[in-house]
Amino acid sequence: MRWEERFNYLTERATRTLARGLSRRAMLSRLGLILTGTLVLPLLPVRRGSVADASAVKPSDDPTQCEYWKYCAIDGFLCACCGGSSHSCPPGTDRSPITWIGTCHNPFDGRDYLMSYNDCCGKTSCGSCTCNRNEGERPMYRLSLNNDVNWCMANDNPNYHCSVSVVLGVAETAKP
Amino acid sequence: MAIKCKRFLQWVVCGGGLFLSLCAASRVPPLAAETLSEETLQFPLSPHSVLIYDEAFNNETDARLILFDADHNRKLGQMDAGYYPNITVAPDHRNVAIATTYWSRGGHGARTDVIEFWDLSSLRVTSEIVLPSTRLQGPPTLYHLAYSADQRFLYSHALTPAAAWTVIDLKTRQVVGDVDSDGCVQMIPSLTRRLTGICESGRLLSVTLDENGHEVSRQLSDVFFNDAVDPVFVQAIPTPTGVIFLSHHGQVHEVDLSTAAIKLLPAWSLRTVADQAWRPGGTQLGAIHAARHRLYVQMHIGGNGSHKEGGKEIWVYDTQSHQRVARWPVNTQLYGDVIATHVTADDHPLLILATSLSKILTLDAVTGRLLPVKDGVGQTPWYMVNP
Repeated sequence: MRWEERFNYLTERATRTLARGLSRRAMLSRLGLILTGTLVLPLLPVRRGSVADASAVKPSDDPTQCEYWKYCAIDGFLCACCGGSSHSCPPGTDRSPITWIGTCHNPFDGRDYLMSYNDCCGKTSCGSCTCNRNEGERPMYRLSLNNDVNWCMANDNPNYHCSVSVVLGVAETAKP
Repeated sequence: MAIKCKRFLQWVVCGGGLFLSLCAASRVPPLAAETLSEETLQFPLSPHSVLIYDEAFNNETDARLILFDADHNRKLGQMDAGYYPNITVAPDHRNVAIATTYWSRGGHGARTDVIEFWDLSSLRVTSEIVLPSTRLQGPPTLYHLAYSADQRFLYSHALTPAAAWTVIDLKTRQVVGDVDSDGCVQMIPSLTRRLTGICESGRLLSVTLDENGHEVSRQLSDVFFNDAVDPVFVQAIPTPTGVIFLSHHGQVHEVDLSTAAIKLLPAWSLRTVADQAWRPGGTQLGAIHAARHRLYVQMHIGGNGSHKEGGKEIWVYDTQSHQRVARWPVNTQLYGDVIATHVTADDHPLLILATSLSKILTLDAVTGRLLPVKDGVGQTPWYMVNP
């Protein structure tokens, strides 16, 4: 087991142990802290085995297009078409504090990036620029890699509006 | 002079036409006055009726459950379903439970999560039970809301993101509490008081409840899949004795939930050596007709990340021999990809397909012959179920 896989394994086990021992409210609170923590660790060297068939999609550098390289695991409406950008929520909406993650390949610099996908919440569906890409996406039992559930679930108003894709850092990897 | 003659002739023709029309009208009796009324459904419903889950993706606070008559290719009625609803039909087929979310001011204001009970014979809400604001909101499956076989309890999936199964006592109309599902998802009811979910570890978790809806025991199955190699879809397909789970690569994992000891049956593949590029995908992946021993699966050519892509063909299997018995191509240029597959349960079954272009295709489930196609039944028809 490579060290990053072991790191993933241990992290997941720790999260499960935490979940078993905490009330839901406490878990949400601590999960928020953990996720906040991930934002200050932008160079976490994670690469999933299924970075996937990025080659199947013609890459784009236009954030209003589903083919934009950062959107490799977005299933929803693009906030860039709804008054926001690829990494900001439209006016009057709230970002989701919890999120799913993925790794996208940027064909313009040849690097893989660790992405945080967040939903923007508090208004009904934007309805513009539907995007459904699922590279590395996993079923709901792998919740942190799942883009099906409503990630606005923990917001005061969990009404889903649109989705953004935020670069957390380079996903460094040992090339085979 | 010529112009005056022409105008005179026009007046003669028009006047004559008007005279003849008045004469004819005087001989045809007028329409009878109509009486405003409300339609009533023929109940029990035809076995070719189907409930179509329309998530209304472009305006998700307004999802619907549409009652569709596949014999006559028409809508029979509608149930309003709110935001990201979870639905289940009661075992006696008289009611539909819809767990949903409303806000007091449309998309904002005070939030209420509630289970509404709809009478299938009148398509009206007959009662409700208010839920904690913790229910799972996501694309539909058959197992986000479920009745116990005796209809004493209703189970509602919670996700906050901690996963739990909320138990509702339908006798007292009260929420009993949550069962911690340890991160496992879906709630497949079996026996009298057992729920089973699928876990990241590749196992199934089963929890048995007592007569008051409290947990008395839990057990884990053996590992039957590895999500790092070949993830299993959560959209389980019901069988007479349990469910099957399909994997992204087309493995069929059948689970027998009919006895106290859960049995994992040997896996088999939808694919032969010659068709390794094909995969199942979409939202409602397939359906089983129990009496005819047929499994229908929507298949596409894809790779990693294509698991939500709809089918280009329907592949038909004998569930006893595990042999493919038919491949039915779909004109996806005309109709779109197949995102949901459903089969009626009667002796003359219809296969009903919902597509990415929001069309409803009805096929003879024995021959694959395409019957009429219906447009405009809903905005995003993602799931179907027998009422």
